[in-house]
Amino acid sequence: MRHSILRTAAVAVLAILCSAAAIAACHVHPRERVVLFGVGDDPGVFLWDSRFRLRAYHSTSFDEAQALLPHALLLAAGTRAIVITCYRNDVQPKYSLSPEDAVEVRVLTGPQRGRTGWVIGGDIQVLATRR
Amino acid sequence: MVVLIVAVQGAFQTRASIADTFDRVGKMQRAQIDLQEMLRLQINEEDSVRGYVLTKDPFYTQQYMLSALSWVAKEKAVHDAVVDEHLVDALRMLNQYDNVQNDWRREVALPLLEHPSRDVAALDKSSKLFIDFQARAADAVRNALVRTSVALSRSTQDQINRSSYVRAFWLLVFGLLAILFNAYGSRLTRELEEERTVTRALQQAFRSDHVPLPNCEVGSSYLSATGRLRVGGDVFDVFRLDGGKALIVIADVSGKGVDAAALTTFVRFTVRAIALRNEDPAAVLDEFNAAFADTVRDPSLFITMLVGILDCKAGSLTYASAGHDSAYLRRSSGVQALPVTGPLVGVMRAPYTSKTMILAAGDTIVLATDGLTEARTRSGDLLGEQGAMQWIASGPPGAQALADDIARRVRRRSGNRPNDDLALLVIRIGEPASEA
Repeated sequence: MRHSILRTAAVAVLAILCSAAAIAACHVHPRERVVLFGVGDDPGVFLWDSRFRLRAYHSTSFDEAQALLPHALLLAAGTRAIVITCYRNDVQPKYSLSPEDAVEVRVLTGPQRGRTGWVIGGDIQVLATRR
Repeated sequence: MVVLIVAVQGAFQTRASIADTFDRVGKMQRAQIDLQEMLRLQINEEDSVRGYVLTKDPFYTQQYMLSALSWVAKEKAVHDAVVDEHLVDALRMLNQYDNVQNDWRREVALPLLEHPSRDVAALDKSSKLFIDFQARAADAVRNALVRTSVALSRSTQDQINRSSYVRAFWLLVFGLLAILFNAYGSRLTRELEEERTVTRALQQAFRSDHVPLPNCEVGSSYLSATGRLRVGGDVFDVFRLDGGKALIVIADVSGKGVDAAALTTFVRFTVRAIALRNEDPAAVLDEFNAAFADTVRDPSLFITMLVGILDCKAGSLTYASAGHDSAYLRRSSGVQALPVTGPLVGVMRAPYTSKTMILAAGDTIVLATDGLTEARTRSGDLLGEQGAMQWIASGPPGAQALADDIARRVRRRSGNRPNDDLALLVIRIGEPASEA
């Protein structure tokens, strides 16, 4: 029993440390207010229901990505959100050299207000009023 | 010469290689611009579809068609460049880009153009998907083109560097060769000049002054064989003795150069000294032969020479010839060779004999070295004794005029490059002076 408690505590500490390390390395921070704006040709932003689908979308083929679409919401460019958590360099786009952050946000404006989901760090613009 | 040809050929090959690489870099850069243009045209297509959906204005459908056609043309240009460079991954991504673009047209653009009243928002998600994948494919192609451009640019720089090193190397080699040749040329010129100076001095010293002989006319000429003016062993001498007589000598010492020239001095003054004591040419040759054997101990050296005692007043010539066969007497009846009367000097101790000839007014003695009979044409034909006698027979009457004429003919026969030295001594017997 005592060993079980110790093991659980160690895993918890490790998880917290890893999470903290990941968060600490990100360029956005929890509770930070941000604007969602895609930097590609279409400025809309996909909000994914899980970090793993976010990663899969950016690293898979077109057909498989198409199959993932029901798990994404398309947010209009300029939608505001607040950062919940962030994983540094968690997404490796298939044909890009530099990895992207995986960021969990809660939507603050627009039809999807109140929803939470995952976006890539490149689609996040930090609000200038934060500081 | 071979080195020069190799260097020039290498330079041309390097230039062609660099030009080819530059051409390939240019193609890669044009492909990148075309790819950028494809993205712009893709956005034009999307904007045209949205414009048509919002306004129903046919203008937008035309814009859509124009953009789509231009996109296809640009895609073909990029495709050709990628195929030319054998960029397999880039070609695969370009094909994927093409497929996604065509899918977007089929699944998004055309349905909206046919039914503009459809809910645009319903298609937005799939449109975003298409655009994301088009961007990814375009990025992959662009990365491949950029990588190739960078590699080619680096290769060009390497070729230019290598070419510079090679050029510097050849420049150094040719520079060193030029310095060496220049030094060698300077040395040769200096040596040649020194030899010319010595040669001029020696030749000046060996030529006999024209000693006036009573009742005789003396002429002479000398031709040097080589361009470098290496002095030969040809010598002639006219030396007055008592009683209106004169010692005449012509000799050809074997060998060339300063040693041979110095030996002619020995010939000239030794013969003079002996002749002052003994006026018999055979005795002079006997004594000279002995002196030569005692003094010059080089068995490879020998001399052909003719010694004569000319009595201009009495009109007689007594001579002895040590193997010297280029001696002639021109008379009104014709030209005859003066026979040899003994062996070469320096070969053996053998007695010489003298021969006396009575001379008439107008008779002309022509003494030459072997440069006369051995005068060659450019094709190598020797003049020979008969040819020499014909020249003498047909020559002008004056002694100096005859010497000059023979020298001119030798020079002309050899194309101004006589193959051997020639010394000529011509003596013409004049009318006897009346006794008072």
